[in-house]
Amino acid sequence: MVDADLLIAALVLLVAGAIITTVIARYRRLCGYVAFVTALIAAIWVTMVAWQALTVGPVQARVPLLTITELGSPLLFVVDQLSAVFLLITALIMVCTTLFSMRYILIYERYSLARYYPLLLLFFGSVISVLSVHNMLFFLHFWEFMTLTSYVLVVFHWVNPDSGPAGLRYFIATHVAMVCMLIATIIVYRQVGSLEFAAVREAIAELTVTSPATVHLILALFVVGFATKAGILPFGFWMPDAYPAAPTAASAAFVGTMCKLGVYGIVRFFTTCLPLSHFVTTWGIIIAVLGTISIFIGTITALQQTDSKRLLTFHAIGQTGYMWLAVGLGLALLRISPAVATLALLAGLFHTVNNALFKPLLFLNAGAALYRTGTRDMDKAGGLMAIMPVTAVTAIIASLAIAGIPGLNGFVSKWLIFQSTVVGGFELPVFVFLGIVAIFISAVTLASFLKFLGMLFVGRLHVSPEVERREVPLTMVIPQVTIAIFCVLFGVLPILVMRHLYTAVSAILPSGYSPAFASLFGTSPLTVNLSLSGAPAGAWGPIVILVAFAGCLALAYLIFRMGGARTREVPMWLCGEEHDFAEVRYPVHSFLLTFNRYFAKIYPSIPFAQLARPTAVLKLLDIDRWVYDPMFRALRWIMRGMSASHTGLPQFYMLWMIVGAALAVIVLFSMAGGL
Amino acid sequence: MTFAINIGLALLLGPLLAGVVRKMIRARVHSRQGPPIVQPFYDLFKLLGKEDLESGPGLVLRYAPMVAFAAILAAALLTPMGLRPPLGGYGDMIVFTYFITIAVVGVIMTGLTSASPYSMLGAGREIMMHLIVEPVLIICLVTAAIKCGSLLMWDMAASNYVNGPSISMVVAAVALFLALQAQIGKLPFDIPEAETEIMGGPFIELSGPKLALFQWAFFARQIVYASVLAAIFIPWGTGFALPWNIAAHLLKVIVIILLVGLIDVVNPRLRIDQAMTYFFGVIFVALVGMGFALIGA
Repeated sequence: MVDADLLIAALVLLVAGAIITTVIARYRRLCGYVAFVTALIAAIWVTMVAWQALTVGPVQARVPLLTITELGSPLLFVVDQLSAVFLLITALIMVCTTLFSMRYILIYERYSLARYYPLLLLFFGSVISVLSVHNMLFFLHFWEFMTLTSYVLVVFHWVNPDSGPAGLRYFIATHVAMVCMLIATIIVYRQVGSLEFAAVREAIAELTVTSPATVHLILALFVVGFATKAGILPFGFWMPDAYPAAPTAASAAFVGTMCKLGVYGIVRFFTTCLPLSHFVTTWGIIIAVLGTISIFIGTITALQQTDSKRLLTFHAIGQTGYMWLAVGLGLALLRISPAVATLALLAGLFHTVNNALFKPLLFLNAGAALYRTGTRDMDKAGGLMAIMPVTAVTAIIASLAIAGIPGLNGFVSKWLIFQSTVVGGFELPVFVFLGIVAIFISAVTLASFLKFLGMLFVGRLHVSPEVERREVPLTMVIPQVTIAIFCVLFGVLPILVMRHLYTAVSAILPSGYSPAFASLFGTSPLTVNLSLSGAPAGAWGPIVILVAFAGCLALAYLIFRMGGARTREVPMWLCGEEHDFAEVRYPVHSFLLTFNRYFAKIYPSIPFAQLARPTAVLKLLDIDRWVYDPMFRALRWIMRGMSASHTGLPQFYMLWMIVGAALAVIVLFSMAGGL
Repeated sequence: MTFAINIGLALLLGPLLAGVVRKMIRARVHSRQGPPIVQPFYDLFKLLGKEDLESGPGLVLRYAPMVAFAAILAAALLTPMGLRPPLGGYGDMIVFTYFITIAVVGVIMTGLTSASPYSMLGAGREIMMHLIVEPVLIICLVTAAIKCGSLLMWDMAASNYVNGPSISMVVAAVALFLALQAQIGKLPFDIPEAETEIMGGPFIELSGPKLALFQWAFFARQIVYASVLAAIFIPWGTGFALPWNIAAHLLKVIVIILLVGLIDVVNPRLRIDQAMTYFFGVIFVALVGMGFALIGA
């Protein structure tokens, strides 16, 4: 039996780890070990608490850690089923990224690690805290803390010229979002005088009657706030610059945890803080449409990228769109169809979980490639499978998972999302069209990751000669393999995961609202037999289908071997001419050129207004200009005048001496009082 | 037994019908004799025994053809071919479309691994064609799903049979037929392979059994796609007693394949951008069909 004290202990441990790593930052390797051990222990404790919350029931600290009576805000750590799902993800990502960092961060030789590990640990601490408070005040505090720590991580590599502007965009965007949420919170606070989520719910319930416009304002402000963090377009414009700028392990941590908090925020706010009303339906549709816009623009733009990390970041935008689509659909149908709403929310959560697995994994893959080759440009390195087989295999798993290939985890959640858009379309037809966009983009995702794989991992080895030809160190391999195993496991046994997610979804909805798990997904432990209102609507039995597929593969192998053909290695055929491979290598940017031309202008480059410099202030600060320069000019003028008297003729100098002596005599006499 | 029927139809009927098309349609249009009807089988068996030349790094290149072949067979097991599909209870239309996609991935991976500029070009074209053609299939299947309230392919077929034709299903059938040519890689849309232009595209480096597997998979793919069109969108005969429902299905499939063969012979190849413009139109038609389904027509 564990309780929330363990969670607090984990947070304290993370803070302690941050302090220790700051002190010992000079010992670069030791620092990595300390950070990893801290993260590991904290993750185990968090997992214990979260698992208890998911399987038994909400875990709550006995007494608040501190109370701000004036604002009616106790700092009480509560882990319910929804938080638990996100905490479990965070724990896994925390361990994997810190382990990966141990060797990876050493490539930044001249940067102090005091600016990396402590902030990474504090970042995770703030993510965990955001997930386990039920009070608006502390929620926003920890949220802000998370923003600040991640900002410093974004600008870690400050010599890089892109880093500063990217960080600045990130800083400004998230703080505008923060102000939005703050204003909304203040409006709510004026209504009831408390900032507990339950009180917020009361306040909004009152407002729905007295002032619907205010409710819309509050919801809009919160949606903007969460959308900015999640990277939903158009609010997530900062993301494609900021994520690639951070060290890759930190980028992986961001997509695995922080990016998902935008989804958590929406689900938490709209279910816990908002009474069931037509507002939920309206805003559900808005959220779904925003999500779909992100899916479309984010992924199509990803297809045009040649920088591996930038490509992944655009996909992060697109993938978050899927979650928002599903969650928005679920919210929109809350009042209309309990079964579809439950299904859609579960699909959204499942996709969040899955994405929190394969997305960080892809970043780690890209990071491993960067570690080995020193470049992010896919034109400059390729065919890494030959030297990094394990990394390449995990990259293939992650890419196929994100593209939704059956048998991997990404397929299950996308499948659930499509199901819910189609059946949700019976109630609100707009969702069918959103679903079609989602399915189409799923193919685009596949295309884009085939490009990523094809250019970076499979194919012919193409690296600069000084690159060391071997797999990345073990501490970088283990995190990748761990996450890849989860991807496969969740893909093959989805129903086990869905049971737990169902607990989380039904816990945040009113009790007795959701239909029973068995009536929705069937009773078989291996097959998801989706049924809505009693009639079968879809099916996915991974084990059976995969066994059948394996049978087909065996048949294919038999046919392949039937003729007893021998294998022989030959050079590539270039129409009989001899070429160096580098000469004929097909460049990344020409790949899919025709398709990309159709959508070339889809991602508007937002001109980030250069701040107009306050000229008056600058003048004031420019001391040279108003002190030194005038003095210099005056002095020079005097000197010029004096030098005019130096003609070089001795007679003149004699004359000056006589005049001078006369003047001196006159002065002396006058001082003595004579004359 | 249904396992055997679906696999058998896909593996045997595919090459056979290809032979028929070559002998009875292409040769006739060209005013020549043409090879024997079973020539595709001769070709396949000959290829299976030929030396297997490998030009790229092994793992992916070695297994991609098998994966593509197996994926088409798995899709065949999910397709209603006159009878309830053998794996219909374990996978619905989305699973089906993804298995089709796996086959495409197999082709693309082969192209990418070969790393020849021709194969890369072909792989890129294959991706683009997939991106622009697959939505048609999905929109049409979703139209059927909306009409019957379920995403299981057999339910769609049965529902369309019971309820009879409707505007939306007819529009969807037309759209799917307009896309069929590209889905099974026939002229005017055999742009990824384009033998006369980029020498087989993704398959340029392949020989022997790998090429045989791909060719066989493509023969089977014709049957799978034609079956989807025949079973779900042209459902006459679905409710007949046992031998006749399969016979009716076969008849429909044969007619479709011959029609496709005829179009193949009399058309020149389009450029990829022309094809994309064309398919934007087809997608629009399919969306109109779905719109009809949503308003209940």
